[in-house]
Amino acid sequence: MARYLLKRIFYMILTLLIVATVTFFLMKMMPGSPYANEEKMTAQQIRIMNEQYGLNKPIWVQYLIYIAGVFHGDFGVSFQYSNQPVSTLIGSRLGASVQLGLQALILGVILGVIIGAIAAMKQGTWVDSTATVISIIGKSVPNFVLAVLLQYYIGLKLGWFPIAGWGSFSQTILPTLALCVGPLAETARFIRTSMVDTLSSDYIELGRAKGLSRTEVIRKHALRNSMIPLVTLIGPYAVALMTGSMVIENIFNIPGIGEQFVKSILTNDYPTIMGVTMVYSIGLVIILLITDIVYSLIDPRIRLAGSED
Amino acid sequence: MKKLNKRWLAVIPAAAAGLLLAACGNSSSSTSSKKQTLNWMASTEVQTLDVSKVTDATSVDQLNNSLEGLYRLGNNAKVENALATSTKVSKDGKTWVFTLRKNAKWSNGDPVTAKDFVYSWRRTVNPKTASEYAYLFEGIKNAAQITAGKKPVSSLGIKADGKYKLTVTLDKRIPYFKLLMGFAIFFPENENAVKKYGSKYGTASKYMVYNGPFVQKGWTGSNLSWKLVKNKNYWDKKHVKLDTINYSVQKTPSTSLNLYQSNKLDVTLLDAQGSKNYKGKSGYVIRKKDATQYLEPNLKKDAFFKNAKLRQAFSMAINRSALSTTLGGANLAARTVSPEGISKVNGEDYTTYAATSATKAVTAYNPTKAKKLFKEAMKELGKSKLSLTLVSYDDDVSKKAAEFVQSQLESNLKGVTVTVQSIPKKSALSRMQSGNFDLALTGWFADFSDPISFLDLFTTNNSYNFGHWSNTSYDKLIAQTKTEANTAKRYALLKQAEDILVEQEGVIPLYHADEAWLVRSDVKGVVFNGAGSNYSFKDAYIK
Repeated sequence: MARYLLKRIFYMILTLLIVATVTFFLMKMMPGSPYANEEKMTAQQIRIMNEQYGLNKPIWVQYLIYIAGVFHGDFGVSFQYSNQPVSTLIGSRLGASVQLGLQALILGVILGVIIGAIAAMKQGTWVDSTATVISIIGKSVPNFVLAVLLQYYIGLKLGWFPIAGWGSFSQTILPTLALCVGPLAETARFIRTSMVDTLSSDYIELGRAKGLSRTEVIRKHALRNSMIPLVTLIGPYAVALMTGSMVIENIFNIPGIGEQFVKSILTNDYPTIMGVTMVYSIGLVIILLITDIVYSLIDPRIRLAGSED
Repeated sequence: MKKLNKRWLAVIPAAAAGLLLAACGNSSSSTSSKKQTLNWMASTEVQTLDVSKVTDATSVDQLNNSLEGLYRLGNNAKVENALATSTKVSKDGKTWVFTLRKNAKWSNGDPVTAKDFVYSWRRTVNPKTASEYAYLFEGIKNAAQITAGKKPVSSLGIKADGKYKLTVTLDKRIPYFKLLMGFAIFFPENENAVKKYGSKYGTASKYMVYNGPFVQKGWTGSNLSWKLVKNKNYWDKKHVKLDTINYSVQKTPSTSLNLYQSNKLDVTLLDAQGSKNYKGKSGYVIRKKDATQYLEPNLKKDAFFKNAKLRQAFSMAINRSALSTTLGGANLAARTVSPEGISKVNGEDYTTYAATSATKAVTAYNPTKAKKLFKEAMKELGKSKLSLTLVSYDDDVSKKAAEFVQSQLESNLKGVTVTVQSIPKKSALSRMQSGNFDLALTGWFADFSDPISFLDLFTTNNSYNFGHWSNTSYDKLIAQTKTEANTAKRYALLKQAEDILVEQEGVIPLYHADEAWLVRSDVKGVVFNGAGSNYSFKDAYIK
């Protein structure tokens, strides 16, 4: 296991290095400068600014400087937010996105499992059809449409929850509801398919034949085994949700990281582009590792390579 | 179940108390409305409070209300004394001597002195600071050479004669110099604070000192809400009526409209749809930004655009009023390149003063005349078809505008085919700078309220003259406006230049991108200017 982990960690670092390298060179191919006032500055002024920021150096030199900085914990300073180190910029915004993402993921998955399981148990009935419709709607209606509707009807008209803002738990409810619909629909669809398969397996029949109650069969055997494939789904979903949704964050005035993913690219804010890309990549490789480990723990048929020794 | 009951027992009295409080709140709303608290919004985040590094409108607004320079701009960009109590200008307009008030203080207790201006300006032009607004200092003695690293920072034309006398020397007369002094980038900075906070200076409310009507509190560098609170150390605090301005960033117009309707905000910016819905209703206000969007033909790449008739035909083929309506209620059809409201000439709006029957005719929608001119131009050029690429930004408004222009040109001028390429702003600018376009849909917003802010762009060697339109008489007139001391004569020169640009359609003005807002009727005294520092709340109050 330890050897397997070491090997995986080595590959993780390699992956991150490749991501950083590819992103760096692609980013430098984008036209324009990182200056907000670019259109008002003359070519000479831009040249002077480039000299100040070292952007006049060959790209590979800039790359080496950046990588050396990263190894010393220096991710550079944002162009967009003057003087703000990228680590501070991301650090102060990641918290809100992670909290919101986790809440949406937990709520979505729980509701999705319940809906999916009920649909599978009532296969072919109106309950199943309703659950399928909910899943399709959840999957096809963009979450920002739902967000605007929730905000207008529940926030403004009914006044049950704050319309927007960040700071109290009640302010997280509407954005959580809007964001949870995606994982809910996906989970429900997955669980239903998986559980329908499981329910028709021989061991379920055996369980019933041995006299186990329907609830026990579902709870102890069917649901448990149906949830295994879900682990693969949740991992990347978790990273996507926790790294923020620009639209939802903008609608509910949440100071999250979502917008930085897009805005840093549109403004050529090089250090921030690298920072947010690395945060996303690190999150993804770690989650994938955890997924693999969890998989081996819950499914005895899967053994991690090298763990037998 | 027991737990639930207990919880309900706790909730019921709390809810009753809440209702009671809400009821009290309603009954006292007439008095609470007099509470001097304003709930304001910004559409973008604060990016910095560092005077030397600021570039965006929201941050400039924060500085304009929490700091103060030599002058403060009132309505219609009227220059009012702020830290300066008197100003003396030499005959040649190159030496300015400001006497500063002695009772101004920083929030750390230090007095505001002439030294703070010297420090701030030197810091901004220092190439090491890499200020994106350093170009506005050009014209102040040696500023350009200092920014280029060719002269020492100490050679900048600014000097403190004692604590309260400031002398500024210019390379040449700058007719709009007073307006610049009301812009945040020229405000003073407290050296002790800059040194104390080091790299953190200006990155949060607490890493800043203030000398203006308000002090900022609660901005952490990444949050979306903060306050401006009345500054007890401000020299003119008795004229500041608001106690608190609660600021929040609203990036989605539907959210801010919901908050406005639920009385959580006193103002809201409207999007195109909102602007159409609320036009003419109570609280609907148009804020005229000093901004113009225009179509720029590329004369360098496409020699056929040197034919003035062709450019005029393009101009007359576009229905600007319909374009403005398509884009939303707040946009205004452009009849001149300089926007309406940028300046007053003897009480008359500059654009009315500058317009002639010829400029009006060439910017009016006249498909018949357009077709005639187009036919003549094509005959002169020996062409029967034109296939053009129109480069524009990829935001919703620019895309819509580009598609509108495409449809108008193609339907009114037979033989013209336009391909629209809407790409991200940075890429589009890069294409325009390198001349890789036939038509560019771009625009400009002014840093200061003077027509020269626009007209200077289209002189022969200006780097923003992407289309390379060139006119010797125009260049001469613009050069003359820069040395003309007499205001009336200067405006006459600006008018002549503007008329040449519009009649010739060197660029084809399309619309002025204004903003539509809803403002609650009890909000009074807010000063808005379309260029530079947009908002001043010094005289604002709740009636």
